[in-house]
Amino acid sequence: MQGSTRDRKPNTCDYAMIRFSQVTVNYGYVPGALKDINLQLHKGDFTLLLGPTGSGKSTLLRLIYMDILPSAGLVTVDRWNSARISPRQINLLRRNIGVVFQDFRLIENMTVFDNVALPLVIEGYRRKYIRQVTQALLDEVNMLAAADQPASTLSLGEKQRVAIARAMAKDPLIVIADEPTGNLDREASQNVLNLLERFNRHGTSILMATHDYELIKETPYRRIYMENGEIRQPDSSINVGKERIIMMNRDV
Amino acid sequence: MKLRFVLRQTLNNLWRERTPATASVLTIGIALVILISLFEVSISLYRNLNDLKQNMVIEVYLEASRTENDAAGISAQLSDYGTIERIRVISKEAAAEIFEKEFGENIYDILKENPLPVMIEVRLQSEYNHPDYLALFKKQVEALPGVDEVHYRHVLVEKLESLTQAVLISGLAVLIVLVFAMNLLIRNTIKLSVYARRDQIAIMKILGAGNLFIRLPYILEGAFEGLFGGMMAAAGLILAHKFIADSFEAIRFSLSVYKMLWIVTISVGILIGFFVSAAAVGHFVQKIYAKK
Ligand SMILES: Nc1ncnc2c1ncn2[C@@H]1O[C@H](COP(=O)(O)OP(=O)(O)O)[C@@H](O)[C@H]1O
Ligand SMILES: [Mg+2]
Repeated sequence: MQGSTRDRKPNTCDYAMIRFSQVTVNYGYVPGALKDINLQLHKGDFTLLLGPTGSGKSTLLRLIYMDILPSAGLVTVDRWNSARISPRQINLLRRNIGVVFQDFRLIENMTVFDNVALPLVIEGYRRKYIRQVTQALLDEVNMLAAADQPASTLSLGEKQRVAIARAMAKDPLIVIADEPTGNLDREASQNVLNLLERFNRHGTSILMATHDYELIKETPYRRIYMENGEIRQPDSSINVGKERIIMMNRDV
Repeated sequence: MKLRFVLRQTLNNLWRERTPATASVLTIGIALVILISLFEVSISLYRNLNDLKQNMVIEVYLEASRTENDAAGISAQLSDYGTIERIRVISKEAAAEIFEKEFGENIYDILKENPLPVMIEVRLQSEYNHPDYLALFKKQVEALPGVDEVHYRHVLVEKLESLTQAVLISGLAVLIVLVFAMNLLIRNTIKLSVYARRDQIAIMKILGAGNLFIRLPYILEGAFEGLFGGMMAAAGLILAHKFIADSFEAIRFSLSVYKMLWIVTISVGILIGFFVSAAAVGHFVQKIYAKK
């Protein structure tokens, strides 16, 4: 596979790794989950996707790992595009993207080690290499001690750290995190954000959907605000609970 | 590593669904026992039948007063029919010797004089070894002067023929029912396994796992059920052979099949399990994706 890109420098690459062009998504007869979305994401960036429940964040993320395809418009991710992609190519694309969910989606009856190793097993790597990479990752997320426990025995915060390690296993183009702190308490949430920030500093692109504004309010990252399936224009300001958030979209 | 993962999954699945899996294994086993014994019994019956037909001996008994000279005359007459393969006159003395060989007693010891008639032993050319022709032949020959009776084993042949047919037909009927049951039960275990692991399958899909990698554990699960069913059937058949061979030496099993028996039985079991589950798994996995 690709060589080690762990040390690539952030923000040095100008080409849009992910591009949405006039993307619309209708779920069956329910129109307008996304409406005419245009968006570019760059390599190495940490991007926040904000907006209330039902605004279309998950839908946008699912388009990136092509869990759904757009009803109209085009999604381009690295060398793949949604207009012509075979099921086999979708599998290849997904092996280059790490996804983290609100509900973790670990395989509960497997050990922590096997969960993190799974993407590497799918890729067909050798045992020794898998062991090495998996242990290093578990160490990075501070879960090495629990390597042989079934995932079901972990606390929620621990589960999410394991899920992040799994997402990182293939050294992906981007990690997509869909409300990764939605089920976690303050401390565990901060822990997860810190982890994602750490991986981002080492060069991994992150796209994180959240409506935990408290958690991210001090962060300097690019924000994309969604409402009713649309992206709010830059510099618009909106009310979020008691708080007033000023949008800082740079280059939508 | 990939293969280890798949095998581990397979064994996990089998253990998790052990009750329905056992039902499949038993059904496969029984179906295989019936299939293979049907095959064997048909072969052996067919061979016996063929042997009988090939070796069909027609015995033409002359009247007690007739001599070997008369027999030679009748022989010549029969030879003219052009349907005869071989013909042989058996004198009173030769008949007595055969009697002694078969029954272990000298006929003169029992009866003082030899009551056995002169006999002509006829073998027809194989294309005339047919019940219709035999009946005609018997009638015609019995009308000849000096001939007392004509014997042949047509009753046995016909019985064997209809027995072979009955065995084949009833066996096939049972087999068809069993094949349906087997298909249903294997599909059922695969379905249970797939549904029990639907979260895992969805997760693997998001991780970019290919179709084969996702499905292989379930396909192998079926193949393993076939393997165990095949082993069960092989053990049963080998025991049955021992028993039957000891009890009825008359039933001749084809030796080549006997030697390969366990390989054939187990292979057939594996193939059945493999293909039934391979055909089924896609359907159930697809259903999971659709539900998502
Ligand atoms: N599978 C689905 N079928 C029908 N409608 C859906 C489906 N998933 C999401 N939607 C709708 O699409 C809109 C956007 O949903 P979603 O992307 O989940 O928003 P968010 O992640 O921001 O909460 C919502 O109106 C939601 O009801
Ligand atoms: Mg969502």
